[in-house]
Amino acid sequence: MLKAEQLSKTYETKDWAGLFRRKQNRVEAVKNVNLEMHQGQIIGLLGINGAGKTTTIKMLSTLLLPSTGCITVDGLDIVKDVMAVKKRINMISGGERMLYWRLTARENLWYFGQLYNIDNKTLEKRINMLLEKVGLSDKQNIPVERFSKGMKQRLQIARGLINDPSYIFMDEPTLGLDAVIAKELREHVKQMAYQQGKSILLTSHYIQEVEELCEYVYILNQGEVIMKGTPKELALMGMESKTLCIELYSNHELLHASILEACHEVEKDCNIHWDADNSRYTICSRKDVSNVVTKVLLDKQVPLKGFYLQEPSLEDAIVKLSKNASKNTSTEVSA
Amino acid sequence: MSGFLSCFLKVLSAEMKKQYRVYFFNKSIYLSLFLWPMLTFITAYYNYKPFRLELIAGGMGYINEKNLILFALIGYLCMIFFECFVQSAWMFSFERINGTLELIYMTPANRLAVIMGNAAASLFGSIWLFIVFACGIIIINLTQLKFQLWSALIGIIFLLVLSILWGMFLNALFLFSRDSGFLFTVLSGPMEIFSGIKIPTAVFPLWAKAISVVFPLTYIAEMLRRIFLNGANIYELRGFIAASIIISIILLAVTLLCLKLGEHHAKKTGNMALF
Repeated sequence: MLKAEQLSKTYETKDWAGLFRRKQNRVEAVKNVNLEMHQGQIIGLLGINGAGKTTTIKMLSTLLLPSTGCITVDGLDIVKDVMAVKKRINMISGGERMLYWRLTARENLWYFGQLYNIDNKTLEKRINMLLEKVGLSDKQNIPVERFSKGMKQRLQIARGLINDPSYIFMDEPTLGLDAVIAKELREHVKQMAYQQGKSILLTSHYIQEVEELCEYVYILNQGEVIMKGTPKELALMGMESKTLCIELYSNHELLHASILEACHEVEKDCNIHWDADNSRYTICSRKDVSNVVTKVLLDKQVPLKGFYLQEPSLEDAIVKLSKNASKNTSTEVSA
Repeated sequence: MSGFLSCFLKVLSAEMKKQYRVYFFNKSIYLSLFLWPMLTFITAYYNYKPFRLELIAGGMGYINEKNLILFALIGYLCMIFFECFVQSAWMFSFERINGTLELIYMTPANRLAVIMGNAAASLFGSIWLFIVFACGIIIINLTQLKFQLWSALIGIIFLLVLSILWGMFLNALFLFSRDSGFLFTVLSGPMEIFSGIKIPTAVFPLWAKAISVVFPLTYIAEMLRRIFLNGANIYELRGFIAASIIISIILLAVTLLCLKLGEHHAKKTGNMALF
């Protein structure tokens, strides 16, 4: 298990504040983050730009020293036992960097395999297996510079698995990839977790990707975990009101007033929107209005095309939670 | 211990192979490596011509008109090695830009082996130039060459060791700070001038002599000239050998310190990915 406790990172920078004077700035990128990664689990780290996702990943992957707090990987301290921890982790980033473009796919994997001191026979087998898995076996001897973006990303995945890590940190792994290849990569991620028991931490700006892959999600805002839970739980947390959608086959003018009356009886300030031809109603309310609306529809014997509660989206929840958190912070600051 | 050594050698050879494949991807690279030192050598040689050589020699008895070309060739031969390593260190800074430096730091690979491998990869280029220049020396003026085999062997070994250590030291500096690119400019030109490659350090004014002390190339160039032009034996070279050993130890110690502090600094400030 990977466990991060009270993890904080403060960057100290010095900027020129005149010709000879330098001013010291402190930026708290991550504040008191606690998180856990269990075997075979895919967890997500979400947040808007500058929330502290990459800093957190870099601390977990030994590339940054935490200012305070501690991280343990299978009981090993990430600072004291750093070399032992490095053998158990790896990182896969999106984009086209982090590969040697003049080397072939095989040479890239071989080089990183050597850095992990993998014995030659095992390395040979593992390279063949990984190239096969990411579908690059027939392109293994072509320099990476001739690869497409998708092929480079697949090679990144193979590179990230070269040391057979137990914990994989994926920072925007599908960045800039088209839908087909991104879906293919998501399948790889699922395989790694569910078939090989790898623990995966994923950051992505594609919320649907996180909803599809992650069992558990941490939402970061301004360096702090403002919410955590399953994607479903988080989506519900962000939803202060329920949205009921009604679709009709035709315009029913009489229905309009009845729906308004029934809903306002349950909740005075509920929001009711309808389209120009009165055939689609969207009702947002804190209380459940579905019963009273159903009653009106039955009374008026209106043929229905659709009647459903809109699923809360994780994306809306994140935007809402981040905004609320920022508001609270600024209130605290001004107070 | 043997486990550590085999692991060290594995990383060293992997890094050498990688750097060689990355930077010597085309045969024309060898030609371009050769052209610049050759042109500067020819320029330097003809610069001597209008002057009275006995004044340039500055009391260094082994230089005369006949072996002048050898004097310049040996100096440039030494400089090629050191210059290659300055370039290799500069090229290593591209690892930062490519993001591969972070991946290297994320592995448990021995850091010293990585930078040694990177520096040693430059030997492929240097050895090619060494052969060309050595052939030049033999063809041009074999009769002026007087050397003892063991002294020559020791001289060449020290040339290799010191230049690799110099390269490792520069690599470590480039890892320490992303702003160390200026070192390439500072070290490349002045090294050629102040190490006595063109003009013997013996004729330098005091301030220039003080600068020349800093560059390991100064000692190795003078040592090889004494070996090949004056037939110096190992006993006569004892001062240079001692200086080379001391410089090697200092360079290695500073390199190790830079590596350790550099990684710690990078992990603290996050500048590993900045360029």
